[in-house]
Amino acid sequence: MEILAVSGLTFTYPQCAEPAVSNISFSIERGEFAVLCGATGSGKSTLLRMLKRELTPLGEKNGSVSFGGVELSQLPDRRSASAIGFVMQKPEQQVVTDKVWHELAFGLENLGTSPDEISRRIAEMASYFGIGDWYDRDVAELSGGQKQLLNLASILVMQPELLILDEPTAQLDPIAAADFISTLRRLCSDLSITIIMAEHRLEDVVPLCDKLLVMDKGQLIANSKPSEVISELKERPDILCGMPAAARLYAELSGSGSSPLTVREGRDFIEKGYNNTTRGLPQALYEHSDSAAMEFSDVFFRYSREGKDILDGLSFTVYEKEIFCILGGNGSGKTTALSAAAGLLKPYSGRIKVFGKRLKDYKNRSLYRECLAMLPQDVQTVFLKSTVHQELDECHADITELPYDISHLMDKHPYDLSGGEQQLTALAKVLASKPKLLLLDEPTKGLDAGAKLNIIGVLRKLKEKGVTVVIVTHDVEFAAVCADRCAMFFGGRIVSTGEPNEFFSRNSFYTTAVSRMTRGYYDNAVTIDDAVKLCSLNGRKEKPCS
Amino acid sequence: MRSFSEYNPIVIAVWFLSVTGIAMFCNYPLLMVISLVGAVAFFVMRNGLSHGKTHIFFWVLFLILALANPLVSHNGKTVLFVMNHNPVTLEATLYGLNSAAMIIGVLYWLRSFTQIMTSEKLLYITGALSPKLSLVLSMALRFVPLFGRQSAKINAAQTAMGLYRDDNIIDDIKGKSRVFSVMVTWALENGIITADSMEARGFGTGRRTQMRRFRFAAADIAFLLTELGLLGITCAAVGTKSLSFVFYPSITAKAPDMLGVLGLISYGLMILMPMILELVVNLKWKYLRSAV
Repeated sequence: MEILAVSGLTFTYPQCAEPAVSNISFSIERGEFAVLCGATGSGKSTLLRMLKRELTPLGEKNGSVSFGGVELSQLPDRRSASAIGFVMQKPEQQVVTDKVWHELAFGLENLGTSPDEISRRIAEMASYFGIGDWYDRDVAELSGGQKQLLNLASILVMQPELLILDEPTAQLDPIAAADFISTLRRLCSDLSITIIMAEHRLEDVVPLCDKLLVMDKGQLIANSKPSEVISELKERPDILCGMPAAARLYAELSGSGSSPLTVREGRDFIEKGYNNTTRGLPQALYEHSDSAAMEFSDVFFRYSREGKDILDGLSFTVYEKEIFCILGGNGSGKTTALSAAAGLLKPYSGRIKVFGKRLKDYKNRSLYRECLAMLPQDVQTVFLKSTVHQELDECHADITELPYDISHLMDKHPYDLSGGEQQLTALAKVLASKPKLLLLDEPTKGLDAGAKLNIIGVLRKLKEKGVTVVIVTHDVEFAAVCADRCAMFFGGRIVSTGEPNEFFSRNSFYTTAVSRMTRGYYDNAVTIDDAVKLCSLNGRKEKPCS
Repeated sequence: MRSFSEYNPIVIAVWFLSVTGIAMFCNYPLLMVISLVGAVAFFVMRNGLSHGKTHIFFWVLFLILALANPLVSHNGKTVLFVMNHNPVTLEATLYGLNSAAMIIGVLYWLRSFTQIMTSEKLLYITGALSPKLSLVLSMALRFVPLFGRQSAKINAAQTAMGLYRDDNIIDDIKGKSRVFSVMVTWALENGIITADSMEARGFGTGRRTQMRRFRFAAADIAFLLTELGLLGITCAAVGTKSLSFVFYPSITAKAPDMLGVLGLISYGLMILMPMILELVVNLKWKYLRSAV
């Protein structure tokens, strides 16, 4: 039985000529897990907000949305609030109250549920989610992943039948994101809650979902099983670039049959379809320059006297004109290391040198003038003015010198830009001080695949101009493509360093999907490009093994 | 067996209100002494010998308050000595001591009150009055530190971008004011999303209820009833002038009558209640542990 039916839905924002979503029809069966994907600005969020009455934006709407056979606008208030749950992107901003237990109770309190009933349902939910340990804590103490789980739990206590999620994992690190997604899957199979979720990070969700909806410029261009959608859209690299590695490989090699989605299926696809007479590609030798741009030697740092060391004898060297990626789990101290490098935190022991000069010898903040600049994780903290134009004027940035174009954004408010646009604008501001050493903290957080490719291009151009870039990131695929050298951060220090090809083929978990897919069959294949080259070099097997 | 701080917040609040209320509306010296000694004992029992600074601050304040009155007020018959052509009287000195005891006693009570009444308990009490008020408080409690953290983040980001060009005060102030102005925008932006999230979860669809995290157990009711009984006797004594004490022009105190004595005893018992409770709890634990 279908729980949600959308037919002929068109929506235009006030003072816009083009509709944000146009003529969309689809339906979702009870208990289905549907994923909605598409580039930023394709109308995903608008569409999702049309499905939740309380969040429907103002504008001109045509067509109908019916929930369980009833037109959405005809639902009683309380039923509409409780039966359709909505989780948004930013974990922090959806939280309303200060305590975890109060946040869980919030929805039920609004619905006028009796206090005993509230206690019972919350207890149940806290046990299901394993929230028991942090039930009494302040929300502020939770990590991003925990906050997002709390947001989900505090909606589930209202026992929704349909759960709508708008890029819920965009702000989470990969491990928290995988955790979140497996929780969703569990909800779907244990409780048969219907889920519709917009997502950029498709590697994990596409293999799990029952239905993949693809949007492009306000239109719904695909709506069926994931493997079928990939076969249909083989000719659309702009859309496929966000899909799982196995699917992209399949599309690049124009494979036939149903598309592989998981690492296991991808491995099967390669091993059954392609020879491995040539096992590896010739490796271009990377030679770093001789002079160091940044040097850490035996750096120790802790936040308070009683606390433990966050940086525990950290030593590494970044050479001039290279892109250096630092990878590592949550709470391993990566961001702390970057803040110390930028002179924002003072280590209690050890030496940090930038271009051969110790940090404390940069007097009167000369460090930040034409030398070093840092782009923080939360790029919104970079913006101070009400238009991009004013932002750039303030720091005397010259957009003609940038290696990319943002002239079309000049009159917008920085908070209104999409994640990728914000990142580029913030970068423009940072580059205004003409740094020779650029520190980036999670530059791909919350970006779609297209925006990531864009950033990679920009970083390469900067490198050509002679800028040294140090990136702290969780994003393995991103590091594999853009880094000259990668480093693994663990327990407050760097435990291994290497060029991406050997670095990732040595790691067995913290590595790219392609590396996991081709391990033991090909050597040193890390990116999709590597795998595609190797496969076409080796050629198809004449008779596929049965 | 719970200790006093784990009792129902309403019981705790009523107890604090009655103890401090009586201390504030009565000026009978013996009652003030009971209140002050009780307040200090209660504070020390909960905190041990820590919080030295609090103690020093309170007792210095006590001295200042006690000395200020005779220097300012020259009422009273019995002149002790003359200072700068102004008489310093016995009555004014005693009055000063008495009111200093009252104020410091109440300050000690309030100190213990803020330690025991965590934000959660205050929310529970306000929630009993109005669920909406309680929600507003809860949101404010979350938002104030959030605002602080975000502005620290923005400051760090701007520093690392070279916004503060020079290391001087003027540049710093300029930077800070820019950060403040963007914080207002950020707060509004944030508020819109929070409001969306509230509406999506059914805020404003009708009467709100309030989740109860604290229950009324038999012990709570027993405590509350005893407390109210004792309060009644004390009030009767204070209200019917059985405990009257006149400082000016000369000290006249009649010996307290039966009701007065009863009132003083009840007040003392009321103050002792949580301490007795704590003692019993400790003893029980000891007994239980030795039994194991």
